[in-house]
Amino acid sequence: MSPVIEKMTSRERVMAALAGEPVDRPPVCTPTNVATVELMDLVGAPFPDANRDGEMNARLAATAYTELGFDTIAPYFSIIQESSALGCDMQWEQKDNWPTVRMSNPIWKGSSDVKIPAGFLDHPDAKAITDSISILKQEFGDEVAVVGKTMGPWTLAYHVFGVEPFLLGTVDDPAETMKSLKALKEITILYGQAQIDAGADVLTVPDHATGDLVSSEYYRRFLMEMHQEIEEELSVPLILHICGATVDRMPYIAETGMAAFHFDSKNDPVESMAAVNGKIRLVGNINNPTTLYARGPEEVRAEVNAALDAGVQLIAPECAIPLKTKLENLLEIPAAIEDWVAEHRLN
Amino acid sequence: MPITHEGLAREFEFVSSPGERKHISEAIDGTAPIMQELAYELIVGNNTEVDRLAQEALADGFTANQLLDDGLLNGMAIVGVKFRDNLIFVPEVLVAARAMKAGMVHIEPILSASGAKPAGTIIMGTVKGDLHDIGKNLCIMMLRGAGFVVHDIGVDSSPDDFINAAQEHSAEVVGMSALLTTTMPNMGRTIAAFEEMGLRDEVRIMVGGAPVTQDFADEMGADAYGDNAVDAVDKAKELVLLLAELRSS
Repeated sequence: MSPVIEKMTSRERVMAALAGEPVDRPPVCTPTNVATVELMDLVGAPFPDANRDGEMNARLAATAYTELGFDTIAPYFSIIQESSALGCDMQWEQKDNWPTVRMSNPIWKGSSDVKIPAGFLDHPDAKAITDSISILKQEFGDEVAVVGKTMGPWTLAYHVFGVEPFLLGTVDDPAETMKSLKALKEITILYGQAQIDAGADVLTVPDHATGDLVSSEYYRRFLMEMHQEIEEELSVPLILHICGATVDRMPYIAETGMAAFHFDSKNDPVESMAAVNGKIRLVGNINNPTTLYARGPEEVRAEVNAALDAGVQLIAPECAIPLKTKLENLLEIPAAIEDWVAEHRLN
Repeated sequence: MPITHEGLAREFEFVSSPGERKHISEAIDGTAPIMQELAYELIVGNNTEVDRLAQEALADGFTANQLLDDGLLNGMAIVGVKFRDNLIFVPEVLVAARAMKAGMVHIEPILSASGAKPAGTIIMGTVKGDLHDIGKNLCIMMLRGAGFVVHDIGVDSSPDDFINAAQEHSAEVVGMSALLTTTMPNMGRTIAAFEEMGLRDEVRIMVGGAPVTQDFADEMGADAYGDNAVDAVDKAKELVLLLAELRSS
């Protein structure tokens, strides 16, 4: 960051930060999303419908920019749109709960089952997001960065095979696991490309090979190369998202060539910056359940400052926020960034 | 050298804390070779060997309690330490759990028929909106192994589900699990529902799950936080004692 940089639009700011170029201030980003019940009420776009209708989805997604002052709009709120289009057993929930896949009823058993259904991209739950991106692109154009999202093969595997059978399979038959992941990667690329075609400036790739479940060696062995391939196939900057403890695998993540890594509050920002060693930008890592949901603006500000002091390039909540998060806490994030920048310019 | 099985001795070296080394080595010390083998095969997740050894040991006259305490639970204690210390992760724990189940199939019917007094009654469930159950199921397996009667209410459990089950089974402890930061607040809502119903003093409530922390547990008003399945057993034992003390005071 340099004081000589002229004021940027939100989109310019995000794209520059993701490219490692100078910015007028660190952007506040939503690689996952910031939908809340309050915002749903404000624009008349409640869950679950806002996940399934492009127009309603765009209305709710836009509030990240219009109401909260974030530099990105991220219309894919959950992690289940592709899985629904693949035929997974879904639980759409109500306004105050996230839609989810019933992973105890998996649809597939092994790599030979992995087939992309004809008309996958035209399935209403896949199309809701691409439609929304088109609307948002038209409405906000170059003003704000539109961040799409395409699930990585590891997360898709949880949904289609079930978490427990999939993880047991990684021990029982790693070669079969690799086959499955390779087949699922094609879905990641297909849906990612569709969102780029619809106008997405950036894509988040959630792929939950988290330290809460698997080792860093698993990440290196099963996913690092696959993430490099995804990065090569998709032409926009990619933000890899993995929840939970990830600092042990950040050196591998830094080798994927992706533009940024969206990291969780379980990881210390200073330690994380050291782990990636300048090879990938970091996005994060304001705690959701304790700080944003249960505490107040003062605690939010302290976490924003800690991330900025550590050199984190894009500031964001660590993951999709609890739906009853208070707006004053979300509004504090851009305000804290402005104040931090002003203070550092003076100094 | 209390541990005679070479593989188990190697696994024991992963236990680094002096207190835990003492505790686990005392538990293994003097156990029969077949029990040590059982513990080792569980740790490495060899379910077919655990199945075979359990049958063989019972046929040789070992009791179900010996198989559980000297074999399976000693193995699980080392699995728990390795998991907590990030030496192994969920896939490796799952294969160990699968091996434990292979042994429990032979032991459980004998233990149930013995009529021994349970260590306590626990309701376990994953909170509303969350369909993840691996962590909860691991806890349940360990709690049952430790002598608790556990009523599993499954995933996506509403506050009413927890309350109804606690009342129906006169549970001493309610355990809630969540894997998602987005669903964790439902732990607080469930605790609030117990309060609203005037039932908060009737039960002790513990919480756990990958993103859950002690801070969050305190914030939500839980009585205990279990960092892993082994810790959950310790916390459940403490809570049962605490509740008994409260009831008698």
